[in-house]
Amino acid sequence: MLASVPRPTLAPCIRCCAQNQTRHASLLRRPKRPYTFTQLITLSDGSTFTHRTTSPAPIYKSTRDTKNSVLWNPSSQKLMNVEEDEAGRLRRFRRRFGRGFDAEAAAVEGQEGEAREGAREGEEALSQAEEEDSLLDLISGYGQEAAAKSGEDSAKAAEKKSSGKRKGGKKQ
Amino acid sequence: MNAAPQSARRIASANNAFFVDTVCFSCRNRLSQQSRRHAATAAAVSDPPPATSPQASSRAAAPIIAKGPRKAYRLMAAPVLSRPPLLTRDLNSFEKAFYLYQKRLNERLAMPFSRYFYYNKGTPADPEWKRKLQARKTPSRDIGIYDAYGNEGWNDEVLVGDRTGERESVVEALIRDAEGKSIVEESEKDQGAVTAGDAQLGEGQRRETTKIEVERPSSRETEADRSGDVKSLNRKLDRTLYLLVKNHEGRWRFPEDRVYGRENLHQAAERILIQSCGINMNTWLVGNHPIGHHAHHYPSQKPIVSKISANALVGTSKESEKEEFGEKLFFMKARIMAGQPDLGSNAYGLQEWAWLAKEEVDGRVGRSYWASVKNMLVER
Repeated sequence: MLASVPRPTLAPCIRCCAQNQTRHASLLRRPKRPYTFTQLITLSDGSTFTHRTTSPAPIYKSTRDTKNSVLWNPSSQKLMNVEEDEAGRLRRFRRRFGRGFDAEAAAVEGQEGEAREGAREGEEALSQAEEEDSLLDLISGYGQEAAAKSGEDSAKAAEKKSSGKRKGGKKQ
Repeated sequence: MNAAPQSARRIASANNAFFVDTVCFSCRNRLSQQSRRHAATAAAVSDPPPATSPQASSRAAAPIIAKGPRKAYRLMAAPVLSRPPLLTRDLNSFEKAFYLYQKRLNERLAMPFSRYFYYNKGTPADPEWKRKLQARKTPSRDIGIYDAYGNEGWNDEVLVGDRTGERESVVEALIRDAEGKSIVEESEKDQGAVTAGDAQLGEGQRRETTKIEVERPSSRETEADRSGDVKSLNRKLDRTLYLLVKNHEGRWRFPEDRVYGRENLHQAAERILIQSCGINMNTWLVGNHPIGHHAHHYPSQKPIVSKISANALVGTSKESEKEEFGEKLFFMKARIMAGQPDLGSNAYGLQEWAWLAKEEVDGRVGRSYWASVKNMLVER
């Protein structure tokens, strides 16, 4: 079958070279690749994966990544609510400086939920002396106490009164 | 083509009951424009009546353009909601052996690790590093004990059954290293005995003063895997899961419904997802094109006259009656990011739902339905 079919004759060598890739003998430098390790990466939600890196640390714990970012987790209520900080740093801030610096909406909503928590915490954490000493708490907490008793309207009014003392706040 | 204007006119005529149901909106507009144009030219030029032209066209070459549809089918859409895999698949034994070999080969080919760039002399990290290195003879932790530059550098193959290349042992070695232990368990008695009298030797030895406990990563097999909970999205993390629902007849299918009014497949699929599974799901419908279809012809070629009621969610839907010869169902791809289905207030009488991998879908779904569906589902 092959013999009967007339084959088209190719020009020798020139045609062959054009069809194949060739590289004639030449000196290549030895590639100097850095030493790489396998590292275990732990993301903020506990998920892990391994990857190759030049870093000799065996484990890398990431604190801020896509797993605790609002942009990448739009459905997560926990991340949307900035006041509910996972690290608990806001709790520490509030213990020192009171709740006067809270955002309005979060302060009114969060009061019912966190009031009990705060009360329990406050009893344990703050001694009497500390409570008396925190003038800043008195100043900033003034508006919040009034709000807790009356309602939303008075809260807003009280907030406006103390707004002037807030650093960088709007003066209305 | 002679055939085209004739069939187009036939389709586009207002009397045709099948026109609205089976031809899409943009095609309908184009056809009606063409027919109007054709009618206008015919009137102006006073051509021979259209009665003679079909004969002429039939005598001409075989019709290439299809004639108008004869039978109406119920047009339906079904969203195929899937959760893509969250973990990469397990490696097979060849891959594990290959990667271990490549890592040991890399020891010999890459530049040696420059220790003093990371661990300065005189810092506590330096003797720590030296101690750990002594045990495993190589800076890497995932290749076992292997010295690339020593006399045994040629011996880079492991014996059959060796667990060095397994993913679990690699992760375990990394964690042990982070805890300050050597990657391989050493008999501590020997250690203590050798360095008992010698102060210098004992300098770099680790003493059990503080125990660093690094949390192990959770297993790839979750609680849902062990209990076989098909309602959980945490099951089979290395596979794609598809949402199947049990309809009022007791059949397991993808949630489906008719396409109403002037909505397109994409809009219909979104509406069906909301009407069947509730709004508490963060989903994304991937494209405007279907990924599969399923045609069901009613038995014995008898049409069923179905009463179509207006759908509350579709503004352009109207009440009408249609004679339908079967169903044509188009599948639309969707992804779930968060949430779970809630059949509490579903509009189709759905009883149950489940997240199933491809072979599990096979087990629950009817034969002809599976034949239509199997090629659009992903193996992994």
